[in-house]
Amino acid sequence: MTFLEKQSDPTSFMHWRGDMQADYLYTNGVAGNRFFAHLKKKDTFLASRCPQCKKVFMPPRMFCEDCFCDIPDKAWIEVPARGTVRVWTVATINAHGKKLKEPKVIALIDIDKTDSAMLGIIKTKNPDKDLFGQKVKAVLRPKKKREGTLKDILYFE
Amino acid sequence: MREVAVIGGGMTLFRRRLLETGKELSYLATKMAMEEAGIEKQDIDMVVLGSAPDAFDGIHIKGDNLVDGCAAAGKPYVRVFNGGGTGVFAPIAGWWHVASGVADVALVVCEEKMGSCYPHPQTAFRHIWDPILDRPLNPNLVWLFAMEMNRYMTAHDIKKEDIALVAVKNKRNAVGHPCAQLADPNITVEDVLNSEMMAWPVQRLDISPPSDGASALIYCSKDKARQFTDEPVWVAGTGWTIDSTMWTNRDLYFPQYVANAAKMAYKMAGISNPFKEIDIAEPYDPFDYKELHHMEGLLLCDKGQAPILTREGVTQRDGDLPVCPSGGLLGVGNPIAATMGQKVCELYWQLTGKAGKRQVPGDPRVGVGQAWGDIMQMGTVIVLRK
Repeated sequence: MTFLEKQSDPTSFMHWRGDMQADYLYTNGVAGNRFFAHLKKKDTFLASRCPQCKKVFMPPRMFCEDCFCDIPDKAWIEVPARGTVRVWTVATINAHGKKLKEPKVIALIDIDKTDSAMLGIIKTKNPDKDLFGQKVKAVLRPKKKREGTLKDILYFE
Repeated sequence: MREVAVIGGGMTLFRRRLLETGKELSYLATKMAMEEAGIEKQDIDMVVLGSAPDAFDGIHIKGDNLVDGCAAAGKPYVRVFNGGGTGVFAPIAGWWHVASGVADVALVVCEEKMGSCYPHPQTAFRHIWDPILDRPLNPNLVWLFAMEMNRYMTAHDIKKEDIALVAVKNKRNAVGHPCAQLADPNITVEDVLNSEMMAWPVQRLDISPPSDGASALIYCSKDKARQFTDEPVWVAGTGWTIDSTMWTNRDLYFPQYVANAAKMAYKMAGISNPFKEIDIAEPYDPFDYKELHHMEGLLLCDKGQAPILTREGVTQRDGDLPVCPSGGLLGVGNPIAATMGQKVCELYWQLTGKAGKRQVPGDPRVGVGQAWGDIMQMGTVIVLRK
């Protein structure tokens, strides 16, 4: 049997209405602090290179998870804010099942000169286009408006 | 079951709020333990992570987020958690990985980043209650512990001054601890008694502080132990017990579930007279009265006798039974699961003579560590012996 019902009415049972409100303040971390301080001022990304296996992490890390060693400050490098689409999808409904006004293209982008990919939103006029291997660059907020958070990367195009 | 040796421990700073992410804290503690044990990531067969509610760090299923910092990427891994009991339960789970023979070398990492829950991690504790039967009253954990403390004091006619001695001892013991958050060489009983009243009889200095921090411990099997160390410390016994959520129906003056866990651990360790046979105890001390309550639960003395031993100095670092020589949660801090650093790593450091300024004199050979968690339900106990 295929279950197609999208909503049921739990209020038809006797119930108590609660919430799990809790607010958070997430610290950037040692590596994150340096990465976002750089992103606030520059149009490039910072990455960190493991001194042992030479793997380049972006976003950067203070340690290599494979070699399990520190990545010292001097092993950090500046890389261009661009890359290549490795894989992608197009979302057409939101988490509540409602149709989106415009399809949203989400991609995993291999960042140039690194061994890492990051999740990004792709701005495109043609969401049906095959994006495999597409070269994209990050569009950042105007420098004056940057906050030093991931939101400073508006999208890739 | 195979014999299991402890070969390394690690611990970060404990602070109210640290810049490091949970992943970075886990890395720092793990790296320290690996350096102490003299091993590399490839030497580790399996990883156990202990971390209490997701709501502290603010990442659902947070264990999966922490694994890169726990040397676990690419390895068999499991997260265990039972609230405050986790700090001793995670090393119990690590022990059974090696005791069972499925791993020769197992790493245990415990992490908590309570500072993320802002402005105060107490907001996370609002959601641990039964939503239908408790939460409509908007309960606070301190209410519960205030009632347990009150019942314990009333059952044995204990004075607050005697309970405050525990806070004074532990905050002073913590002075030698490089990770300590609330060490105070000059604190007095008057300071505790004059601190802010929160919920009678609980006052500000009766409670340990929330913290960010991580700790790590490395085990290996007996046949491999000599590769890493000449002085292995052995896991002699483990025990754990959970009681019903109906704490309302228990007499709060005595934690029977802790006693059950202790009996299980002592039986395994062949201990028949805990007070005589144990050289160091690290009972869970998130509140000063809990150290006393748990000493009795651990059967280290008769019911109601723990305050007397404390007043007589028996539990001081140079006493007959040093209790919380690490400085405990009251002095070093309380990043819930990461208190494995005081409750288990400390025993390892004490038994190997690596405890520095905190070293208990007289060549201690047997230590017991204990934690307590969920809604006054969970008792977790471990015995180490050299």
